[in-house]
Amino acid sequence: MGIVDFVLIGLIVGGAFYLLYRSLWKKKGYCHGCDSAGKCK
Amino acid sequence: MTAPTAARSFPVVETAVLRVAVAGNPNSGKSTLINSLAGTRLHVGNWPGVTVEKKEAALEHRGQRIALIDLPGTYSLSPYTEEEIIARDFLVHDRPDIIVDVVDATNLERNLYLTLQLLELGIPVIVALNIYDEAEKKGYKIDVKAMEAALGVTVVPTVATRKTGMNDLLEAVTGAIAKGSRSLPRSQSYGEDIEAAVKMLTAGIVDRHPALVERYPRRWLALKLMEGDRRVLAEANISGVDSLMKDAVGHLREAHGEDLESLMADARYSLAAGLTREVLQRPSVRKTEMTEKIDRVVLNRFLGIPIFFAAMWFVFKMTFDLSAPFADWLDGAINGPLTRWIEASTNLLHGPDWLVSLMTKGVIAGVGSVLVFVPVIFAMMFFITFLEGSGYMARAAFVMDRAMHSMGLHGKSFIPMILGFGCNVPAQSGTVLWSLYVMGIVLAVLMGILFKRTLFRGESPMFIMELPPYRMPSGRSLAIHTWEKGKHFLIKAGTYILAVSVLVWFLLNLPWGVENKKDSYLGKVGSAIAPVFAPLGFGNWEASSSLIAGVIAKEIVVGTMGEIYVRETEKKPEGPAPTFFEDLREIGTSFASAGREAFTNVISTVGITSLKAEEKEEEATLRSVVAKSFTPLSAYAFMAFVLLYMPCVVAAAAFKHEFGTWKWFGVAFVYQTILAWSVAFIVYQGGKLFGIGG
Repeated sequence: MGIVDFVLIGLIVGGAFYLLYRSLWKKKGYCHGCDSAGKCK
Repeated sequence: MTAPTAARSFPVVETAVLRVAVAGNPNSGKSTLINSLAGTRLHVGNWPGVTVEKKEAALEHRGQRIALIDLPGTYSLSPYTEEEIIARDFLVHDRPDIIVDVVDATNLERNLYLTLQLLELGIPVIVALNIYDEAEKKGYKIDVKAMEAALGVTVVPTVATRKTGMNDLLEAVTGAIAKGSRSLPRSQSYGEDIEAAVKMLTAGIVDRHPALVERYPRRWLALKLMEGDRRVLAEANISGVDSLMKDAVGHLREAHGEDLESLMADARYSLAAGLTREVLQRPSVRKTEMTEKIDRVVLNRFLGIPIFFAAMWFVFKMTFDLSAPFADWLDGAINGPLTRWIEASTNLLHGPDWLVSLMTKGVIAGVGSVLVFVPVIFAMMFFITFLEGSGYMARAAFVMDRAMHSMGLHGKSFIPMILGFGCNVPAQSGTVLWSLYVMGIVLAVLMGILFKRTLFRGESPMFIMELPPYRMPSGRSLAIHTWEKGKHFLIKAGTYILAVSVLVWFLLNLPWGVENKKDSYLGKVGSAIAPVFAPLGFGNWEASSSLIAGVIAKEIVVGTMGEIYVRETEKKPEGPAPTFFEDLREIGTSFASAGREAFTNVISTVGITSLKAEEKEEEATLRSVVAKSFTPLSAYAFMAFVLLYMPCVVAAAAFKHEFGTWKWFGVAFVYQTILAWSVAFIVYQGGKLFGIGG
């Protein structure tokens, strides 16, 4: 494993955590599929 | 009545946004009307209460930008339900430019009760006489001109589902503003006594409480004070025994007693009834309608609940029969050609071995295992949307309300329960799915009773539900709403399921280069907690690890199992790998045969279809491997546990957002985990005791 592998792993894991944060936590429990959870603008 | 004119065909004149509030009774078609006007996809359903919060849509007509605000459906503007408060606060405090009052033409009198209250607000009103086609079918003749004259507002007949009358409605809306006068509706008279009191109160308010005139429409404020509206009295800081009140309504109290709210309700109902008599001509002989005939059976005291469960069984059965061949097809396409293509592409780009493994055994195995359920989800959502649109869901809630009312619960909360099974859909067969569904409902009712008698004592809120007529949902509406509901599953797959699949792959490969996955970080944690699940029949590290990952979201349980088991079962195909075009051809032919099989399943008799489907399952890779770790009984206990165990991170975020504290999430966490464990224990140990499925 070289430095490139470590950077790549860091980016992938960081990206995964960011995706989790954005899709789950940031939306404050927005429930996909619930009828009135989101606002339509 | 014509379809709406494209705004582009008119010169665009920059003007301020016209704020149009769309109000009306529940199930009068407000959201459908907005969707037809603005091309939006607000959720609609043939049951009341679909919209419980304000929603907005934007459009442009003749250069005029219009913001449509979809208010929750209400029968009145009294402050008793959440919907009424939301609608009323918006109308009174935010003061839209125009109100479009959506009136159900088949229920004129009841709808006019709200119309009269909207007219009290001193805001221009346009009445959309909706569901006009059904009123005509019933033989109703509505004198639109007479209605306009009586109410002093423009009345436009509409059929929102067919986009009929939309252009006329938009013309009326923009026309009202173009006149520049913003003509207000005619003030309706509630009788001499009441009007005298209103006059005195209005004068008194202007004289003694001038600040209130800025905040409220005068006539509306006077009427609300007279009714003794607690919310308005509190907001206006006026006491019911205020001298102003005594002077203005003292004589009314003497004549009619303290309850002036009932007096006002009577006055409005009388006026609505009178207006209806003036403008509506009903057919002389009333036929028994189809809706009534069906309801005699469907709402029967003894047959209602069995019919509901039978209907849901049919939904699950059809879902499974229709979708299973496509799920198998997708499984084959993902695990075969797609995996090969991604492996080849990563190798072509000289990606390291671990990246190839991450892509195929992490992302494809994890996300792919979940994506296999896309056909199941879409089929399920199609049938649920059909039931909603047909009007049956409202009956289901009514039937359950009757049963639950004696236990202190009410049926309104039952509708999300019927619809909210999406997270738990992935399961083995229609019957298993249905049995889990019934189990979920029974436990929810039991827990509801328990909480009602312990943590949440107090009176249940009033639950009034109108039963809409049965309607055949349009193909377009079915397609749009099936897609709207189903697409969220795809969003999940592309966001957090993808993210967790990547993280799980790392956890299964750390410490780096670990040989036996049981010795990985995830395997070790899974092994450590596995004994907790041993009495439930699935005390192995694979199941425990999947449950840990499922804390993020329940669908991830399947994805993690896909990743764990694909590693144990992976084997290279013998002979040369097929070419890209051979793969494509194979995908096409297997899709066609899946279509044929689904068609045969749907038209086959129930028993034979089930057997066929279950035989086919044995061939599927993941299912057959999982079957080696589970007996049918332990698999059922596992599914029951997954159905009931602690709320996922999404729910945690929702709890924190709603309550602003972690306390209720903690309560839900502890209670659901204990409940899930106990039920799975009873299922497994009870099943073993009776020698079922062991």
